[in-house]
This record gives sequence, structure tokens and C-alpha cells, in this order.
Amino acid sequence: MVGRPYDCLANPLGAVRFTFEKAVSTAGSDPSSFDRNDWGVSDLFRDFLFDNDGLNQVPMLTPSTVKWVKPNSLVRFRGMIQDMLGNEFYVGAYKNKDIWNTNKFTDVSQFPMGTSPHTRIWERRLLYCVTVPGQNSWVDASCDGVVNTCATSASREKRQRDACSVSDEVEMQDANNAIPNSPNAKKMREGESLLPENMTGGTDCGMIMVPDFDRNNFPCLVKIYDTPESDLKLNDVLEFIGVLTFDTDVKTDDHELENCFDQEELTNLPPSKVPRLHCLIHRKLSPNDLIFKSPSMEPKHHMIKEIRQSLVQHLTVVLGDNLAANFMLLHLLSKVHVRVDSIAVGKLSLNLTGFDKSSISVFGNRINDAVKNLLPFSQCIPLTVEFLNTASLAPVKDYQTNRLVPGVLQCAEGSHVTIDETQLQSGTLNSNGVENTRLLKDLMEFQKLEYDFKYYKMKMDADVQILILSEGKSNILPADIVIPFQPSSVGSTGTVDEQTLNAWRWYLATVRSLPHTIGADMQKVVEDDMVAARQVDRSLGTEDFNRWLTMGRLMGVSYGETCLSHEHWQMVKEMERLRKERLK
Amino acid sequence: MDVNFSQDKDLATDFLQNFVDANGETKYMSILQDVANRKIKAIQIDIEDLFDYKDLDEEFVGRVTENTRRYIEIFADAIDELIPEPTEALQDDDHDILMTQRAEEGNENADGTDPRQRMPPEIKRFYEVYIRASSKGQPFTIREVRASNIGQLVKISGIVTRCSDVKPLMKVAVYTCEECGFEIYQEVTARVFMPLFECPSKRCSVNRAKGNHLILQLRASKFLKFQEAKLQELSEHVPKGHIPRTMTVHFRGELTRKVSPGDVVELSGIFLPIPYTGFRAMRAGLVADTYLEAMSISHFKKKYEEYELKGDEEEQIARLSEDGDIYNKLARSLAPEIFGHEDIKKALLLLLVGAPHRKLKDGMKIRGDLHICLMGDPGVAKSQLLKHIINVAPRGVYTTGKGSSGVGLTAAVQKDPVTNEMVLEGGALVLADMGICAIDEFDKMDDSDRTAIHEVMEQQTVSIAKAGITTSLNARTAVLAAANPAWGRYDLRRTPAENINLPPALLSRFDLLWLILDKADMDNDLEMARHVVYVHQKRESPALGFAPLEASVLRAYISAARKVSPSVPRELEEYIATAYSSIRQEEAKSNSPHSYTTVRTLLSILRISAALARLRFSETVAQSDVDEALRLMQMSKFSLYSDDRQRSGLDAISDIYSILRDEAARANKMDVSYAQALNRISRMGYTEAQLKECLEEYAALNVWQIHPNTFDIRFIDA
Repeated sequence: MVGRPYDCLANPLGAVRFTFEKAVSTAGSDPSSFDRNDWGVSDLFRDFLFDNDGLNQVPMLTPSTVKWVKPNSLVRFRGMIQDMLGNEFYVGAYKNKDIWNTNKFTDVSQFPMGTSPHTRIWERRLLYCVTVPGQNSWVDASCDGVVNTCATSASREKRQRDACSVSDEVEMQDANNAIPNSPNAKKMREGESLLPENMTGGTDCGMIMVPDFDRNNFPCLVKIYDTPESDLKLNDVLEFIGVLTFDTDVKTDDHELENCFDQEELTNLPPSKVPRLHCLIHRKLSPNDLIFKSPSMEPKHHMIKEIRQSLVQHLTVVLGDNLAANFMLLHLLSKVHVRVDSIAVGKLSLNLTGFDKSSISVFGNRINDAVKNLLPFSQCIPLTVEFLNTASLAPVKDYQTNRLVPGVLQCAEGSHVTIDETQLQSGTLNSNGVENTRLLKDLMEFQKLEYDFKYYKMKMDADVQILILSEGKSNILPADIVIPFQPSSVGSTGTVDEQTLNAWRWYLATVRSLPHTIGADMQKVVEDDMVAARQVDRSLGTEDFNRWLTMGRLMGVSYGETCLSHEHWQMVKEMERLRKERLK
Repeated sequence: MDVNFSQDKDLATDFLQNFVDANGETKYMSILQDVANRKIKAIQIDIEDLFDYKDLDEEFVGRVTENTRRYIEIFADAIDELIPEPTEALQDDDHDILMTQRAEEGNENADGTDPRQRMPPEIKRFYEVYIRASSKGQPFTIREVRASNIGQLVKISGIVTRCSDVKPLMKVAVYTCEECGFEIYQEVTARVFMPLFECPSKRCSVNRAKGNHLILQLRASKFLKFQEAKLQELSEHVPKGHIPRTMTVHFRGELTRKVSPGDVVELSGIFLPIPYTGFRAMRAGLVADTYLEAMSISHFKKKYEEYELKGDEEEQIARLSEDGDIYNKLARSLAPEIFGHEDIKKALLLLLVGAPHRKLKDGMKIRGDLHICLMGDPGVAKSQLLKHIINVAPRGVYTTGKGSSGVGLTAAVQKDPVTNEMVLEGGALVLADMGICAIDEFDKMDDSDRTAIHEVMEQQTVSIAKAGITTSLNARTAVLAAANPAWGRYDLRRTPAENINLPPALLSRFDLLWLILDKADMDNDLEMARHVVYVHQKRESPALGFAPLEASVLRAYISAARKVSPSVPRELEEYIATAYSSIRQEEAKSNSPHSYTTVRTLLSILRISAALARLRFSETVAQSDVDEALRLMQMSKFSLYSDDRQRSGLDAISDIYSILRDEAARANKMDVSYAQALNRISRMGYTEAQLKECLEEYAALNVWQIHPNTFDIRFIDA
């Protein structure tokens, strides 16, 4: 920590206070000027994390690390915004003995505030974040990998010592180094001892957390400051870097008297179950960020071609069907890139038909494993009448707890869902079942999911790749592409080494987001082809044309091209021809 | 803040005494008189009146909105002094007796240095003071209320999601002391309070009389009705990708029991933090819960008849109505993203406008709602049109013929799971009363609903005789139906009656039956291809070539038009009669009529003409309206006439098809094996070659699929 008067890692609040004091002294001792504004904290941490490579030292908050990460230290958390709990008002700044103090980025005040009239009320937003639904194990591993590196570098040593004394020591050092002559130095230490965490002694230092977290459902309540509302959306996948606190406020004490509605949102999120994170900096994660040691390659032309080649080969081995493998590749690359009116342009759902009981047991698992290994977030839904009748696919607002109850289909952008229809038997759907099939259909058709707020429903944009495995053409779930699955061989998939997998993951993540255009000359060709096709076959509609163009785009980007070429358009037409042949 | 509150109290007194409303009356003094006579309990002070008051400085108004709670107190103090004597004799109730007694005693214990012994003004008040925010200006959405609004008077809109029971809330606690007999008062400002245990009077403190001898007098204490509710943002106020926010609202006194869950309301109130109590206060309560102390409630109305024009809408409508091309402009603005179909859109616009209801002298009612049925090939955007119309209509229900709920379309008697009572639950048609009910997949409707819909469409009621309940529910709704032809696709070889798989009795109830066919047309195809390519290329829709009117403007215009009730002038009667009889003549000549022209058709012409007159804000129907009505009726069947392929009778191939279809229907299966098919058709005298031809032809139409090897037939259910 050379040249730094405070340890951003172990004592981020010290840094916050330091900047606050500096800002107050320059602003003429009136903090009202930074109501709802940042006074330089964000820049400071940005500088520390990104310019000075501090990011890798920040421990990742996971079910395993939460046991030893100290409160009031800097941590990071990766997750999806599952619910938004609204605003929280807090006393942001207050005057204690003529000195302004701040409570920003903390749950407990440093000094008793008394009844000082000099308080400023500020607000922060509460976001309820969870591990991304359907996160695959290789993503977890990459998270843990980050944690391990940092644990060895910095935190592990400290962990050997008495955790509590460390924080005091650090605090003392800071105080001495930073502002030895300031009268605050002493007070800060006194204030520190007022914090309940430290008061309760060593056993509490992180042990407050009952460490029985489900690996797949690790929630965190993130408190957001200063960020404009439009920056963070529901179902976004983000990395939050901020101060971890344990809110020991025993709210249940007098809560029944407080409110007619006995169950308020926060009582359902006891701090022992849900850690709190005061966010200093957040960033949106792209799929590439999730790949551990992602090969930081420039998208070079021949390399992309090579990776594509090997990936198609792999998919062909998995499926035993070259045509299906080619469609599969396009399907895995699809994403909604624009919405025009009600059409979600760019989606490409795939329906592999022709499965029976025996082939699904073989190929179902192989397909699932392959998808799991390639994409960061994937889920598999076995479609049965009972499932449709009982499951809640869409999120529902529960007004008793004032929370959004997650549904199966609430997932992050770019998730992959495999729906196995082969297990569907004939039976009666109840109203819930009918509703669920409608939701699935709407999701496939419009890439929108209806969230149920009881008094009204709200359609939320989604971007989910949907793969359907069925015996015949699925009428419940009309996919963009229906292709009879005709495996020619059942070869062993063998094991793929991690490096190749990483290359494929990188390829899928990178190529997907390439820009793509259609040139003027190609436009003419495409239009003529469409009109000619429709003259022959009246049943072709806009959906078919949309599908062709989407395939053309995906075919192009799969070769790393950003412009539709004649060759790729022909390939699309050929694929469609072969598919039509199979359908006959 | 150096505000002189006593000075502001004088200002308040001055305002209450001297404010004169538009009618020249001292508004607040007359309210106060009513209050004194115990006729009303609530005194509402309008911020607008404060603005309008002649010699009031704006700073005072500013202070009132910034620190409303304090100023309610100030106004109440002012009212205490101003309240006149009752002009009517009043029955003394308990409260008054107590008060007189207190007033007498008041002189005795004059040693009241302790504030708790002085009677708080609150206990004497038998009225409630509210300050209401200005009705002008847009209300806040819940997420717009920020920390800076704390303590201020704000106006917000939202939907009520939860309501608590109404409970008594203690306002002033009154104790009596066993030792000295004094009455002790304690004002309660928070939700919880710490009861007093020791008498603060001089006598008791001198005697050092300790112990619990203060007794809480519930009858003498003052209580207030109290209700808590949760308000949630309206869906249209929630930004994309966000979750609606909620806010706690407290209702007191006269404002309780005014809302119930599901109500859309606009509230004005004071945004306040909840005072810290108990343990949390000791922790210096870093986090503050907030709530809105309600000051006034107004409910939103959604029916056309009650639609209130906002701001500049009136002006806009006036401007639009002068535009000669309004009919086309409005029609084009319906579902602008759906290409073409201009006449259909015109018909749908007329459906939204409707004609006035008529009630004859003998009590017979003639409906004014227009019913329209869209019949057409799959994929001609019928459903999108339906959904768009529902969005534009202020009250609309979208459902499918095979409605998913057990209630169905009409109504159902259901057992309440909690009380085990039979309750009547309205279906889509009842819910759409005074609005529009869009029914998709009309042809696939349950038989029970189909019979009920006859009644709905002409009598506009739903009759129920089930489980001991006989009743008739209003269903004054315009029905907009969409249906597929009998065989999924329109079969030009067959007569319209065969294609339209609905009984004539039902069909005749539709004012317009629109056939939309998907025909092979090079230009249309190119247009379609261009559109799709454009969307992929430019990532947006091609420009429409005109600026569609916004849905809100459309809604306002239609609601304004619906207020007009045009009549048919005498000179036009002859014209309409001639037109009607000529249609009848024509139909009689034709051997395969496309329509059933009945007296209902005549009524339809009148309805459509009236709706057209309404659009012009005209009180009389013009000849041009009738012409347009006739044109629309003609156009609705245009796609059939233009293709002059009417054939008399059936050819072999169609006949084979219907035999197979019947065979499948009889067995209630989707597939027919080849052997079975051959067996059936040879009995009817057809050859195998004819069967093969039929199979190929209809497979191309996508009516069925043929197995490549066995030639088994599988019907594709549309």
C-alpha cells in the first residue's frame, strides 16, 4: 500500500471517509452539495481496481468464501438482478460535534448520531441478486479460480491471525499513516469500537453467517448508490465490487408494532442468510468475462475458421448427424439483436424431431452435456403434464412478502433452455398448465415473458435460446426450425481438453456479438430469391423470410464475416433444402 | 430556518376568513359552519385556493407544500379560534359532556406548569384538517418520489395492492390519577407510545407517591380510524426492464375505507419518514422507512363515458375534427405496423366508435354496438389486429374461443373455496360490459358459449339459471371476432357458407363479416420480402410514410365522438330503403349468395352510418355516410368477388376431401390410413387416381400431410 493512506482492500470505509473529509473541507463544510452525488469515491476505487490491478486481489463472494471474508472489507460478487426492492432512505451525512460524517456505504453509523438536527437524508437502491440461474460448473470454477489466486496473495496470511485484531490494526495503521495530526485519527478508532461487529468479539467476525448456502442459489442484497436507474435492469448479469457488511440490526424486536403488514420485505431476507454488499463499482459481465483465462485472442479470420471447423466436428460427433450439427451451431450463436414492432429479430429456436424413448436416453444427455460445456448458462426442462400443471414458469409478485418469486423462465440474457418434450404423455391441463404453455409459446415467438403482478401483467424482454427435443413436430412449442434428427453413427464423444473447450466458449461468446450487414447487391439477390420461393410455395410467410435472413446472418458471423456473402446465402439455402427434404 | 409560525397562523386565519371562491362565497367559513353543526368532519384546504387567494404571498404557499404536516397543525390552531357556534341545536354526546366537565375543572387545577396537565387542543377537535395538492399538473410516479420530497406535499398515482383492516389509532391518551384525581393527557404522534406511569402533578410529586396509580381512560381518550395500504406503480409508468415500486400509504379518519385492492387511484399526501422507536431509535436508525400520509383520494375512471379530457387534448381534437381527412387518418393510426388492410381498419375504427343505443317507446332496445367478424387464412395478422384494438379501447377484453378459464365467455356459477357459497363469476363478455370483447378462434368456441353468444350479440345480456341462481347480467359489448375458415384455409371451390363454419343465425348478427384471403400476388410478395430484408438490414421498421396518431389521442377522439348521438333525417330514409331492397334483389338473383341479407342488415347499415356521422361530430347522418357504409359492406366480400371462381356444386376432388374429412371427424382422429381412405371413396364411386390427385392437391394447401411411403393421411390442425 505504498503511497496510499488507506487500504482499499481491507478498509474501504476508511478510504470513503478520507475522501469525504477532503471533499467537505473543500466544499465549505456543507455536504448538501453532494446530495445524491459522488464525491470522488468512485474514481478512487476505479483507479485502484483497474489501473493498479487491484481487481484480482479482491476476493469473490461465493458460498465457500463467505465463511472467511471479513465484514467491512472489499469483496466482489457476480450475480443476476432477480428483484428490485425499491429505495431505502438513510441518514447520509450528519454532524457530530461540529464535524460532518457520512454513513454512505455502511449500515451502521460510526458515531452515535443523537438527535442532531444537522442530518441529510440520502437514498440508495436495493437490488436482490442471485447466482445466475442455470450457471454451469465451468463458470463456477472460473469464479473459484479467481478467488484462489487472491486468497494466496493477500488474504490468506491475514486469515491466519485473529481476524478481529487485524481490522483494528489496519485501522490503526491507516490512521497513523494517513493523518497523524488530525484529531480524527483517535476518534476513528473509538468509533470503530462502537461497531457492533467488533463489540461482540472474535467469534462473530464472519461466523454470523450461517454458512449453509446452496451452491446454486446464493443471494446477496446489493445496495446501489448514485448510479442512474436506467443503467441496471432486471436479469442483468453484473459484477458488483463493494463493501460487505453484516447488518446485525435485530429487526424482529418491535416490528410487529411497526406495521400492519407483519411481513415486510427485509424480514424475509435476514442478514444471516443474505449478505449485504454496498456497491462501490459495478460492471456488466459479458460471456467472455466468465471464461477463466479467456484466450485473449483477436478475432483472426483463419483462427475463427479453424475453431468453427473443430466445433462443428464436435457437434457432429455428439449428434451423429452433420446437418443437425450445422443447425445446432447456428442455434447456439443466435441472439435477439433488435426488436422491431413485435418481432424479435435474430432468435433461432430449434426443434429436433424424431426422438424415441431409446434415442433420447442416449442423445438427450449428450446434447445436454455438450451445451453445458459450451455455454455459461443453460437449463433443461423435462416437459410433462404434471410439470406444466404445477410449475410456475413466470415470476409472480407475492404481495405478502412484497417479493418477486422467481419462475423457471426468469433467466439471464443469452441463457439456453432445452425442453425435452419426449416425456410428454397425454393428459389434462389445468388452468395453470394452459397458462404455462401460453407463456412458453410467447417466449418462443416473441422472446418476451409475462411477469405476473396480479393486478396487471408486464411483458419483459427476454433473450433465450430454446432447443426442443420431441418425437414429432412440436405443436405446443412452434420452433423456428424443425428438423428431423437422423443420427447416422453413435460414436464416442471422447474427452475434450479444457483448452479446446475454452476456445470454443470464447468463439461462441465473441462471434455472437459481431456486427453484420447486408450489402445492396445481396439485398437484391435475397429479395428475388424470396419472391421466387413464394411464387412456388404459397405457404411461405414472413416468419420463413425472417428465418432465412437470421440464418444468413448467423452463417456469416460463424465465419467471422460482418457482411452477408453470396456463398453463405447459398449455404443457407442448401441447408434449408436438405431440411425440407427430410421433412417430406 | 427562521420561520415565524405565529405570523403564519395569522396568515392562515386571514385566508380562512376571507377567501372567496368563484361564486363569491366565503368557502371555508361555510365549511366551518357545517363542521360546527356536526354535518361534516373533514375540512379540505385546497392548495389551489391558496394560490388564488388575492393577497397571499407565494412564499407562504411554498412553505405549506414544503412542510405540510406542521402547517396542518397551524391551520387547525387557526380553525380552533375561528370555529363558529353551532346554528342548530345539537344532541350532546359523551364527548361533549366530557368536554364541558373538563372545561369546568380546568379552572381548579391551575397549577398546570407541566404541559401534560394542560389539555392538548387535539382532544377538543371534532374535525380533521387536510391539505389537498393542486389538481393541476401530472402526478408523480412512485419512483419519482425522492429523498428531497420528504415532508412535502406530493401527488402520486398508482394501483392499490393491499389494504389492512381499519383499526383505531390512539391520538391522545387520557389518564386519571388515583391519588390526586387529575386528568393527565398524553399526545401520541407515533405508531407506538410509552404509557405514563407516574402522575406529574405537583401534589403527587410533592407526596412522592410512587407506583402505578395512573389509569388509562379509554373512553376519554381520543382515537382515530386508521388504515394502511400499499400502492404500486402502474404498469405504464415502469421503465423497461424494471420492477414496479411500492409505497406504504396511511389513511386516517375520514379517508379510511375509501380504497380497495385493485383500485387505480391518484393520491395527494405528505411523504414522511416513520419516526424511530424503541431499539431502532437507540441504534440511531440509519435506515428510515417512509410512508405517504394521505390527504385526498381520487379514483381513475376508465369508461368512455367518464373519460376526462386532459390538458391540451380538447384542443387537439378540435384541430383534428377540422381536418377533412380524419376518417382515413384515424383508421391508418390503428395498428400502423400492420401493412395495408385499410378498409378493415376503417371498419374497426367504426367498431370502436359505435352507434348510439336506441330505446323504443315500448321498451324495446336496439343495440348500438357494432359486431365485426374477421374471417381469413392463417397468418393474415387477424390476431394482431384484435390485440391492437383492445389496447386502444379503454375497456377491452381479449379472449379465445377456447378460453382457458372455467368461467368461459359468459358467466359461471362457482363455489367459493372459503365460504362454500355459490358465487356468480362473470366471463369475458360480462367483464367487457360497455367496452369491446375480442374473441379469437371464434370458430373453435364451445357449444355452450356459442348459444349464449346469440343472446349477448342481440339482447346484450347474459342470462344464467344455474345452481339456484337465476339472473341476467349486462353485457353491452361490441364483439370483435376472428375465425379461420372451416378447413383451415379458404377453399375457393366451395361456397362461402361451407367455408364459413358458423351457423347463419350467428353470422347474421355480425354487422360486418370480413373475408381476408391470402392470394398469390407478385407485388405483395415483393413488398413483404422488402419489408423483412429492411428490418434485418436497418434494424428498424421501414418508415410508414405518415405519422400515426398516438393511442391516447385516438382514445380521446373516440370518446369525444361517442358523446354525439346522430339521427337519420327523413329525406334519407327513402334512399336507405332503396339501397336495402336492391341488395335483396341481387341476392335473390344469385344462386350461391355470399351473404344473408335480412332486416338485421338494414339495421347494420344504419349503425355504420351513424358511427360515421359520429366521427364527423355531426348530429345528422348524411348521404355520404350511407354510401360509405354500403361500400364497406361490399368491400368486406371483395376478396371473394374479385376472384370469379364461384362454382356450382362440388367437383370430384373437393368431394373426396370432404368424405375424408368427415371420416376423420367421425373417428375423432387426426389421421386416416390410405387403405381406409380408398375403401371409403370407392364406395362413393371414385377412383384411386382421383384420390391420389386429391391427396396431392390438398397437401400442397397444407391441409394435411401425406406419409411418403404408406400414403397415410394426417390432418394438420390449424
